[in-house]
Amino acid sequence: MEFHIERAKVLPKANLWDFLEGLRRVSPLIAPVRRGGRVAFSEINDISDVTIDYTRTVLPPKKFLVPYRRVRFTYSTEDLSFSSTFKARQQIIFGIHSCDLHGISILDSIYLKENPDPRYLDVRKKTVLIGISCMPDDFCFCLSTGTAFPDGANWDLFLTDIGADYFVSIGSPKGDELIIELKELFRDIEREDLELYKRSTKKKKEAFRNRKLPDLERISQLIELEYESPVWEEEARRCLSCGTCTNVCPTCFCYTSVDVPDFEGKTVKRVEFTTSCQYPYYSLVAGGHYFKPTRTARFRHRYYHKFVGYPYQIEKFGCVGCGRCSAECPAEISMVETLRRLRGEDEEELREAAEQTFTDRPF
Amino acid sequence: MKKSLEKLLNKPLPIDPFKPVRAVITDVEELAPDHKKFTFSFLDEEASDSWSYIPGQFVMLTVPKAGEIPISICSSPTRKGFLELTVRKVGRKTKVLHQLKPGDLVAIRGPYGNGFPVGIMENHNVLIIAGGLGMAPLRSLVWYVLDRRHRFKEVYLLYGTRSYEYVLYKEELRRLREREDIKCLFCLDRFETPEDERWADREGLLTELIPEVDLEPTETYVAVCGPPVAYKFIGKELLKNGYPESQIFVSLERKMECGIGKCGHCQIGYKFACVDGPIFPLWDTKNLPEML
Repeated sequence: MEFHIERAKVLPKANLWDFLEGLRRVSPLIAPVRRGGRVAFSEINDISDVTIDYTRTVLPPKKFLVPYRRVRFTYSTEDLSFSSTFKARQQIIFGIHSCDLHGISILDSIYLKENPDPRYLDVRKKTVLIGISCMPDDFCFCLSTGTAFPDGANWDLFLTDIGADYFVSIGSPKGDELIIELKELFRDIEREDLELYKRSTKKKKEAFRNRKLPDLERISQLIELEYESPVWEEEARRCLSCGTCTNVCPTCFCYTSVDVPDFEGKTVKRVEFTTSCQYPYYSLVAGGHYFKPTRTARFRHRYYHKFVGYPYQIEKFGCVGCGRCSAECPAEISMVETLRRLRGEDEEELREAAEQTFTDRPF
Repeated sequence: MKKSLEKLLNKPLPIDPFKPVRAVITDVEELAPDHKKFTFSFLDEEASDSWSYIPGQFVMLTVPKAGEIPISICSSPTRKGFLELTVRKVGRKTKVLHQLKPGDLVAIRGPYGNGFPVGIMENHNVLIIAGGLGMAPLRSLVWYVLDRRHRFKEVYLLYGTRSYEYVLYKEELRRLREREDIKCLFCLDRFETPEDERWADREGLLTELIPEVDLEPTETYVAVCGPPVAYKFIGKELLKNGYPESQIFVSLERKMECGIGKCGHCQIGYKFACVDGPIFPLWDTKNLPEML
């Protein structure tokens, strides 16, 4: 066997489709697909369906790690024996943007840090994550959250567009194995590639230059101090409590569990499904007490949890700046705008602040 | 890649924390209207032997066909071989539970939550304040303290509820009152029957009993559990009487689906009631909005 030490490789763009075909031979492949004018992560049968030119999918790739509806157990009412047919499968998710990779790393911390969930771990061990570089649109603010680049996240391979080629960073042994498997498609890096790679970083940063970016410096404390601010109520007035923002969020994890008996009442399925903190019954306990009774309280809770709750629990912001909640909100409520209003700065200052956040984020 | 993240994935698969163990109902006691105390024992001997908990912790109880509910443990870990839960019939799932009889099967997982800081409470006075059904989790603490009485200084129990009819564990409390090593002060909201008058030390609210407690506040740990509305008033009264915020512990209730910090429902500010609670020092009200 050939001994192989490589920091990174280069994949010529012409070889991309062969690369995808090769991945599909290894295990089931999930990649972004254009569907009805939108893009969605989907299992690939025909490589030509794959689209790499996209900004954001409607739903993040977390649906292949934690399905939105899942059966935890089936139990018989006679002897209360709990069983499960759950089986994790090998899968490769290709074409994940940097923000979503960070989103998955946040889920890793949530599910595995304390009281690890064996199912998530099983799925995660069998999943290969391949990222790809992207350019921001008006909703993106990953530069502020520090998730514009995949550094510091859990991934296996990352493809950075450097013009005629992709610069392929190797993030894990799993990623390395794939490179060895398909080594005829890659070439070695040269000095020139490295220069182009460095320039691509700058290019993405520059794309943010004329965009509105929130200043997240000390945001946790700001939200705590502005807890009673009228901004919450003013913004929440437009909110429909529909839960779209949390359902499209790559880091939201709340779920509800329901026991569903069959018609004869002999077997019961314990079904878990994604819920949203924006729904009124989210905090409802038996006896009829709502712990978060108002729309304002629930609206504020989402921001509070993302910027105060997550840092306490997992030492990272719960927001990766993907912009989905703002892009998909039917009432056009923007996270960036809410945070800007909360901080109470005018636009000029905001632009300056954004440049400051080019440096590393606090976590 | 970060070290902390890499380590998360390089673990062997743990045992499923969501899988409950089977238990059989051995006794059902009607304590008050809509309040029943269930006694369980585990079918599996191994589970029965390894089962241990701290007063103030809770379990997730599977009511067959209805679902899972978080219930505080009301028996003391100092008494082994069984588990007791006191449940009020208040919702869909507890209604089904109340129909169960001795011999029926349920499933239990846990114990979850932090429990009362019994270790650091040792060598101090203990003041236990229970309102209504709040007596259930505190009964666990009462018996824990009494069974290890030499480790604690003075012990007080204050208990208030609606009327004599709603007093939980009537016989036990009557016996507690006769003991020398615990001082009991009971109150009822309103005296309506002669029984009410015979039972209680006074008519009124729990807050009125607090000034009667003869303890050095800084040498005392306080455990409070009661209806959500009561905490504010009890907390204020305790602070007024000089008890330090960091030594007052309240047990809080929230909606829960998982008990292990995965479902998100029980968030109180930035903490999870299931893993960071349900016992919180009163000091946390400063940090956690909407805690009380």
